[in-house]
Amino acid sequence: MSVTLNNIVMDYSGNLALDDVSVTFGFNEVHGLIGENGAGKSTLINVLSGTVSPTSGDIYINDSLVKLGAPCDALLHGIAQVSQEGSLVPQLSGAENIMLGAEPKYLGSIIRRKDLLHRAEKLLNKWFPEASIPLDRSVETLGVADQKVIEIVRALRGNIKILILDEPTAALQNREKAQLWKIISSLPPKGVGVVLISHFLSEIKLLSNKVTVLRDGKFIDTLQAENTTEGNLIDLMLRRTGAAKGSGKVKSRSFVGDKTVLSVKNWKAGQVSVPQFEVMAGEIVGLIGLTGAGHFGFVRSLYSKEGLISGTVEVEGKPVTGNVRAMQRSGVAFVPDHRMENSLMPDGSVTENLSLVHPDFAARNGILSFGVEKAEVARVIDLLNIKTSSRGQLLRNLSGGNKQKVSLGKWLYGAENKYCVMIFIEPTEGVDIGAKQEIYRKIRALAKQGMGIIIASSDLLEIEHIAQRVVPFVNGCPGKEIFAEDFSEKRFISALSGENA
Amino acid sequence: MSRKVQEMDTKKSKNIQFNMEWVQKYSTLIVLVLMFIGFSVSVDRFMTIINLTNILQQISILTIVGCGLTFGFAAKEIDLSVGYIVGLTGILVPMLLINGVDLWFAITIGMGAGLVVGITNGLLVTKIGIPSLIATLATGSILFGINFMLTGGRAIYGGLPDSYLFLGQGRFLGVPILAFFMIAAVALAWFVMERTVFGRYIYAVGGNEKAAELSGVRIVFYRTAALTIVALFAAVAGALLAARLGSGQPNVGERYLLDGLATVFIGMTMFRPGTATVLGTFCGALFIGILDNGLNLIGMDSYIQNIVKGIVILVAVAIVSRTTKLKLL
Repeated sequence: MSVTLNNIVMDYSGNLALDDVSVTFGFNEVHGLIGENGAGKSTLINVLSGTVSPTSGDIYINDSLVKLGAPCDALLHGIAQVSQEGSLVPQLSGAENIMLGAEPKYLGSIIRRKDLLHRAEKLLNKWFPEASIPLDRSVETLGVADQKVIEIVRALRGNIKILILDEPTAALQNREKAQLWKIISSLPPKGVGVVLISHFLSEIKLLSNKVTVLRDGKFIDTLQAENTTEGNLIDLMLRRTGAAKGSGKVKSRSFVGDKTVLSVKNWKAGQVSVPQFEVMAGEIVGLIGLTGAGHFGFVRSLYSKEGLISGTVEVEGKPVTGNVRAMQRSGVAFVPDHRMENSLMPDGSVTENLSLVHPDFAARNGILSFGVEKAEVARVIDLLNIKTSSRGQLLRNLSGGNKQKVSLGKWLYGAENKYCVMIFIEPTEGVDIGAKQEIYRKIRALAKQGMGIIIASSDLLEIEHIAQRVVPFVNGCPGKEIFAEDFSEKRFISALSGENA
Repeated sequence: MSRKVQEMDTKKSKNIQFNMEWVQKYSTLIVLVLMFIGFSVSVDRFMTIINLTNILQQISILTIVGCGLTFGFAAKEIDLSVGYIVGLTGILVPMLLINGVDLWFAITIGMGAGLVVGITNGLLVTKIGIPSLIATLATGSILFGINFMLTGGRAIYGGLPDSYLFLGQGRFLGVPILAFFMIAAVALAWFVMERTVFGRYIYAVGGNEKAAELSGVRIVFYRTAALTIVALFAAVAGALLAARLGSGQPNVGERYLLDGLATVFIGMTMFRPGTATVLGTFCGALFIGILDNGLNLIGMDSYIQNIVKGIVILVAVAIVSRTTKLKLL
């Protein structure tokens, strides 16, 4: 009694989201599915739930070949999904949400309200007799855990054999989590297998019978949960072998000077809590962590004050209050992740994008001098080796690596001696190898000029390659820092599992 | 061998792509020129100096409204109250003049009224967070009411000074004075949008608000400024419109909303597809002006002209939406 995915390949025009993945999900188990962002978890469950059709590969249910062309096909075969964001209609009652699309009616048009409530309650009792959720209240008045349960009951409405749960506890408090965990583990004995995606490895370990690990679209391993440790799982999720290792590795803390350019104290923002954090002039600090560990959130809140609760930040010894503009004026530059959303104007020209931060460099009394602008744009294009057909080329026509270079170049255009700290998040996300090396070289050069560099990245090899000091984040807090002479993937991975190795 | 073929293929497809881009940029302009030639050949009275200067006179006020709207669209803000702002100053200025107020003072007050409406629109959008589409729909309705309250629904005429009427009806060397205003408005708007830091920031806010914010651009200021400029240009247009008509009428401004939007949408199909530009808007106004005039000379009924204009707007917006996501709400 199982569903088997065989040799699934998902090819998004040359980009392999899934590369020959085979995995079997039983109807009597909780099967954890883990991997970092971009590992292929979402694509795999989209294949399983019929949302996308794989480029090649077969799906078998109890050894018979099936075709899942659309979500309704998957439902007919007993596969249902509860997505992460939630799909309830907040104004409707729990009962109405459970029976959505299958309401009992008079004459096929008038809803039988009493019957509807009755049937919904029967369903809830059938699956989760211990849950006491008032089904006549609008779901927006219920707790998040109760809402999740209602979604799960609705998903189980048909003859469901496999239930896919995507990050079911992401929005939940600890107490509510326990409540939902009970619900999840009660399903396999009733003949419903669960495919559980979660970033919380402790949760995966606690609930799952088996765990499958994906990395970079490839199947890594399926393990019995009781025979493994969290550290082992993290190792499997993150370890990259065979890549350009050891080349040009930084020897030690080779930077000179002892001037502190950035100093953060008692920083609390959202889930992040950092008692102290400092960056010296000329230093490259790497921040690492699993997804949601707070290393991105920390630097983001540092720059934009997003979600800031308390804390002080000093740049070159001067305290800075206020958000983006104040940080920028005091000398902090920010090269964010997801460059197309956070950093660039896709329909603007290369020139307009490069001059976005300091257009006034080429202006007198607010009036632009195209000669000055042209020269400065040419300088930055040359400096970063940006490949573009012209300065007027639309940004969206550039390749990923060149877009990233523009995203960095914005902070170099007309900015001589303006910045003493530069913050990067995922500096080489979606960037080809050649451009990657160029970006690393440039970052090193900037550090050499005396800038303090912070790089938050999920790519451990990248951090090992470029950073001189690494701060690992676990559950929103920085752990013991690691210096260049002790760098190794193993060391990073054990730090991320919260072990003080 | 096969590799060479492949290279040639990519080269070819690049050429095709390049041509497609060219076509996208200039197709509307080509249609405009063809339409002009078509009317010149087929309609007797079209290609005369009198008629051509008439077209200029007819599109002047529309162009001024369109130039303002361009600022709004460049920042991804729409203003549906423009027509009623045109109406408001078109009433205020003649009212003041009839009551013996000095010409320049009257015009200053008219501009001041536009400024107040524009800043109000801007703050409703940026500080309170109402989407501009809805905020300006509501302020438009309020202005509509005010306009009728001020006039009691009647036109204001008689006793307007000649110096004022000259602005809307006079000619210099055969060219309507209004056309000079139009050229000045286009030149000013173009200069600000294309040649100043201010214009860069307006484009940046519209191009990617999040990126602009993280780059340190004061997006609240620039969005407010964009909507204020829309209202200011509309106020100028209103003052000129009353001078041209020789009277202040509460309901003449309304058509400048649809026509004004049409000029911007047509403009967005050319030069920088998907982005509002001042020159694009000017071409859009020419397009509307020539179309209206030509259809008039042929003797087509005005309601058919409305149908044609609606279709032109739909086609323009369809072209724009194909290249970029038109997001205004």
